[in-house]
Amino acid sequence: MLKINDLKCKVETQDGEEKAILKGLSLDVPAGEVHAIMGPNGSGKSTLSYVLTGRDGYEVTGGDMHFAGEDLAELEPEERAALGLYLSFQYPVEIPGVPTITFLKEALNAQRATRGEEEVSAPEFMKLIREKAKQLNVSMDMLKRAVNVGFSGGEKKRMEILQALVLEPRFLILDETDSGLDIDALKVVSDGVNALRSPERGMLVITHYQRLLDHIAPDVVHVMANGRIVKSGGPELAHELEAEGYDKYVGEAA
Amino acid sequence: MTATLTHTPAEQALINALEGATGWRAKLREATRNAGLPTRRHELWKWSDLRRAANDVTTAGTLTVAGMEQLASVADGDRITLSVNAVDGACAGEAALVVPAGANVTLVERLAGEADALGNWHLTIKVGAGARLDRVVIADHHAKAVFVGSAEIALEDGAHLNQTIIDTGAKLSRNETHVLHPGQGATVELGGAYILAAGRHADSTTVVHHAGPGCQTKQLVKGAVASGGHGVFQGKFIVDRIAQQTDARMTHRALMLGEKAEIDAKPELEIYADDVQCAHGNALGTLDETALFYMRQRGLPQAKARALLIESYLAEPLDMVGDEGLRDELKAILRRHLGALT
Repeated sequence: MLKINDLKCKVETQDGEEKAILKGLSLDVPAGEVHAIMGPNGSGKSTLSYVLTGRDGYEVTGGDMHFAGEDLAELEPEERAALGLYLSFQYPVEIPGVPTITFLKEALNAQRATRGEEEVSAPEFMKLIREKAKQLNVSMDMLKRAVNVGFSGGEKKRMEILQALVLEPRFLILDETDSGLDIDALKVVSDGVNALRSPERGMLVITHYQRLLDHIAPDVVHVMANGRIVKSGGPELAHELEAEGYDKYVGEAA
Repeated sequence: MTATLTHTPAEQALINALEGATGWRAKLREATRNAGLPTRRHELWKWSDLRRAANDVTTAGTLTVAGMEQLASVADGDRITLSVNAVDGACAGEAALVVPAGANVTLVERLAGEADALGNWHLTIKVGAGARLDRVVIADHHAKAVFVGSAEIALEDGAHLNQTIIDTGAKLSRNETHVLHPGQGATVELGGAYILAAGRHADSTTVVHHAGPGCQTKQLVKGAVASGGHGVFQGKFIVDRIAQQTDARMTHRALMLGEKAEIDAKPELEIYADDVQCAHGNALGTLDETALFYMRQRGLPQAKARALLIESYLAEPLDMVGDEGLRDELKAILRRHLGALT
């Protein structure tokens, strides 16, 4: 479903400098599978999520990335979203003045319009969001507030998963979804993610710590270091990393 | 020695149009006769060169005001709507409004200058003791209009003024408000929102003169300016020595939507009392790129994401309007002009 081949990319930093971050990353995530990517800080994990979703300032310099057969590099961020690609942000942005319900309804209908599907009516949407909000312990009150404004870290992460439940993407990239979560929030969020598992859906779980993977069991674990995947294995690889750290892989990649 | 000023065609046209006029229009005529129209050399007009903007005006025009009869006897609960139209050339009009003590009155002014008009409109307003005036000004001019609207508002003790001006700009559009604030329980809320496409200019100039103890004033003006647009904010609070315990806050925020947007702001506090809370904040910025990306990643096309962000940004001063129907109308006007922008 997601096929990344020898991807190289550079990032424009704040001071106008350019830095190569991904240095030949290859990854293949079939539909129905959950793959985890673990790696030390600076390995390029978030960069991977941004280059896949088309953020400005992240430029592909080599290799390619295909999703559902389409070349992602040709598509705008909103086109990739309509195709079914979803990113749960590590640091969800605040959007003052735009109520969450309004935002989500606009987003869902924008995706449907791009796909040539019928829009969801207001009552239909209210029904949908109420149902999904219940699943994640999100109150209607929270939904009336501006997107992420005044939300705690845990609430923001829950909202990221709620949005995914509403938008029903074909592929989810979860960028350090567990950061800032206490045990209870972690459980609620993981339950939400697990509810999205399906033979037609793929997931890429990016995480620094093994803990999340106790709740969202991956089919494959990849180790990322210095802009590349340096090792792939089964779930036990995550435990090995927890016990031994990333040192031996960072050495290898350099 | 009086130097003889050579008038521009626009100045001559305005002087001719106001032949025989009395009151404020007579003052306007004589000021124009003696000094011409203000230019950028005049401190108060340095970003709104009226003489230059009126270059294409060569004839006298007509200013019509629909709704004037509502000003004859004003009572509690009244909602007055004045539609002011300026066409064909230089013209001016004026009116006076007295809000009786204790009354609650709403005044809506719809200002529409047509192409090649040079419109001047002035209101003298008195708000009686304990009365409340909600004033909404909608400046919705043709792109090639030149229009200056002004108001002098004097409040009595315990009176309340809640004013909102939305301006979508013109070749030159200026809204000037002077408020005399007596304190003694009186309150002033001034809100403003402007949205400017390329080629459009809007100037919000306000002076609040705090002349008594315990004044409460809050001002919030927000704007969004596209490349080639020009926004101007001149806000002044004067606090007399006897205006102790005045609490006056001025905030101006604007978004530059493109590299060639121009926004000039001059907030001023002139404070003679020593026991007051006065503040002015002025911030200019651009749309939050991270928020834009977040919205696009959720499926919103770039234009729609920008529009949503700008709309929610400008909603803040509009939410200060008490009347929900009016508030919705103002938001709809901004939304319409937003479409032309992004």
